[in-house]
Amino acid sequence: MGSFLGKRALASAVSLIGLIVLVFFLSRLTGDPTNLYLAVDASQESRDNFRELHGLNDPLIVQFGHYLGDLARFDFGMSIRRSEPAIDAVLRGFAWTFQLAIVTMTLATVMAIVIGSLAAFRVGGLFDRLATFFSLIGASAPDFWIAIVAIVFFSVQLGWVPTSGTGTLAHWVLPVAVLFIRPFGLIVQVVRGSMITVLSSAFVKTARAKGVKNSAIIFVHALRNAMLPVITVIGDQAAALLNGAVVVETIFGFPGVGKLMIDSILQRDFPVILAAIMVTAGAIFLMNLLIDILYAVLDPRIRY
Amino acid sequence: MKKICLTAAGAVLLAVAGIPSYAQDNGVTIVLPEELDIVDPCESSRSNVGRVVLQNISETMTELVPGSGLEPRLAESWEDQGDGTWRFNLRAGVMFSDGSSLDAEDVAHTLIRIKSPDIVCEQGAKFFGGIELTSNVVDETTIDITAEPAQPILPLLLSTVTITPSDAPLDKHIDTPIGTGPYLFKEYARGQHIKLEANPDYWGDKPVVQNATYVFRSDSAVAAAMVQTGEADIAPNIAVQDATNPDTDYSYPNSETVYLRLDNTMAPLSDKRVREALNYAVDREAFIGTILADGTLIATAMTPPSTIGYNHDLKQFPYDPEKAKALLAEAKADGVPVDAEISLIGRTNNFGNVLETMEALLGMFQDVGFNMSLRMLEVEEWLERYSQPFPEDRPPEIVQAQHDNANGDPVFSMYFKYDSEGLQSGVRDPDLDAMIADATAATGTDREDMWKNVFKYVHTDIVADVLLFHMVGFSRVNERLDFEPTIRTNSELQLSQISFK
Repeated sequence: MGSFLGKRALASAVSLIGLIVLVFFLSRLTGDPTNLYLAVDASQESRDNFRELHGLNDPLIVQFGHYLGDLARFDFGMSIRRSEPAIDAVLRGFAWTFQLAIVTMTLATVMAIVIGSLAAFRVGGLFDRLATFFSLIGASAPDFWIAIVAIVFFSVQLGWVPTSGTGTLAHWVLPVAVLFIRPFGLIVQVVRGSMITVLSSAFVKTARAKGVKNSAIIFVHALRNAMLPVITVIGDQAAALLNGAVVVETIFGFPGVGKLMIDSILQRDFPVILAAIMVTAGAIFLMNLLIDILYAVLDPRIRY
Repeated sequence: MKKICLTAAGAVLLAVAGIPSYAQDNGVTIVLPEELDIVDPCESSRSNVGRVVLQNISETMTELVPGSGLEPRLAESWEDQGDGTWRFNLRAGVMFSDGSSLDAEDVAHTLIRIKSPDIVCEQGAKFFGGIELTSNVVDETTIDITAEPAQPILPLLLSTVTITPSDAPLDKHIDTPIGTGPYLFKEYARGQHIKLEANPDYWGDKPVVQNATYVFRSDSAVAAAMVQTGEADIAPNIAVQDATNPDTDYSYPNSETVYLRLDNTMAPLSDKRVREALNYAVDREAFIGTILADGTLIATAMTPPSTIGYNHDLKQFPYDPEKAKALLAEAKADGVPVDAEISLIGRTNNFGNVLETMEALLGMFQDVGFNMSLRMLEVEEWLERYSQPFPEDRPPEIVQAQHDNANGDPVFSMYFKYDSEGLQSGVRDPDLDAMIADATAATGTDREDMWKNVFKYVHTDIVADVLLFHMVGFSRVNERLDFEPTIRTNSELQLSQISFK
């Protein structure tokens, strides 16, 4: 296991370096942020000062050298638009996104496993049909539309929860509910399919013949064997959320890293773009490692 | 399963019980369309910063008041000393929120700070580019300010400069603004909110609103919904499609003017008849109430009608495609290459329905016989076509732009847009250069008359460009407030002007 973790860490470090080089040069190809930052009427003298101040006059390769030098000291640079270090803005946004992802994925995973497993137990029954119908809708519904409709219905018409923002537990209800729908729908589908296969296997028939309770068959014996593909989908969905739920963050005014990243790209705030990519890439690397470990825990045949 | 259900129900109840009540008795919540990335007063000419900081936390020496002109704020009076020098007499007994007194040294330091190359503040970059400012502190409340070249409207220019204490750093932006205004900067939870609180030591009248919370929502429908549900009191900038409630929604002139800048130096646009044909080809009325909001005004000048010297006698070009065709034919007969391909350049996301507007304009120009193609450009590429130096190998170009002047004087616009040296000027006319210089230097009624003449010359005599629309913005205001948006709402939102019904 130790050598496996070491190899994965090395492979991820190489990928991260490649990503830094790629993003550094690709983001610079989008142009100079000076004209986005300063007013159209700003003087040439001010534009020259701005470029000098942010090192934009240097050749690209020199800028890259400075960036790598700073990075070696864990200095991600100052945000061009914000009067703060880029990494501060990113970590603050990532903390919000991380909380949102944890709450959403926990709820979606627990509920999807229960509902998917029960649906698989009586294939074609009413519960299965309802679960399949609603999970398919959830997996395919556009989240921006759901978000707006949810605000109009639950906040404006019924007044049950705030429209948007942060501050109280109530503010989390709509963003989590909207984010929950898609991973929930996908995971239900995968759990159901995987469970149908496992429930028709010989060891389940043997358990039934021996008079083991249905709940024990489903949640003790079958579920563990059905979890490998489910873990993969959970990992994919969690990675998507860790990258930032841009639409939900934008509509609900949730200050997460996804919106920060998109705003920084639009504003050409290069230090923030690079810091955000490094932080989210690091988080996704850690999560993939966790999933690999989970595989080994769930299936003793897997050895690293 | 029962336990899970009970826990979930409990969580929802707990959550609902925790809904905050924003509508406080003497406080307001304002929902802004974008988060403030910076709160330094020297950036308050940027509209999102200005709506929080300008005249709430930090004040200016003078203040341009819509309808009444330039009024004293931190300066009680001012006089022209000649040779580009103005003397300003400061109000005595004014305190900054850090407890220090306002004095002439603070003003001198502020003027250095806004031009500091180590922070590149927008106030300095936008309003004082190419102007050297020097200060002479006469005594604690008297300061002489000299502008090189001389600025006859220096008092007006100082209505854009927020005064900061003399210990404000020259090499970095301020995170906690210190000002003399009626409100104190209390808290900035980045990404979430900014909170202000009434300044108990304010030198002026005590404001009615005692505290303000600013939140940020980029989705207009959500901002409007927040006012509707009472979570917020003012959404100063919502989209036209969300302004659906006549009891709470206001349209106001937002000080933006949309126009087409013509490159007067290149054929066929160098021919006045061709420029006139472009103007006659546009059915301006057809845009209003369709792809542009009701209340949009047809423009005959670069600045909004509230600007001093606005020439109300000028008549808009009527929609007359036959006349446009005739003018083109006449120009062609005289050898003007009217068949040359003209590039019509628009700026993406410049305003709502900009693409539809540009496509409609293209169709109208093509209908009268222009050989024209449309390119919509991102701001960076667009600015290369809009601002000098223009590309050497450019074809004849028409550039769509939107210009903001909420400052009440044409000087903030006319040099940049029409002088031969102007950053975005497509005109090379020594007579116009002289007229702009004379009007810039004039004062009083002379100034007003001279700007009227400049507007007439540009619009009617040389037909420099295709002036289109003075735009409107939309705000939603909670019915419990006594507040109506004005042309200044685009750039500032003075809490002290808000009261409760």
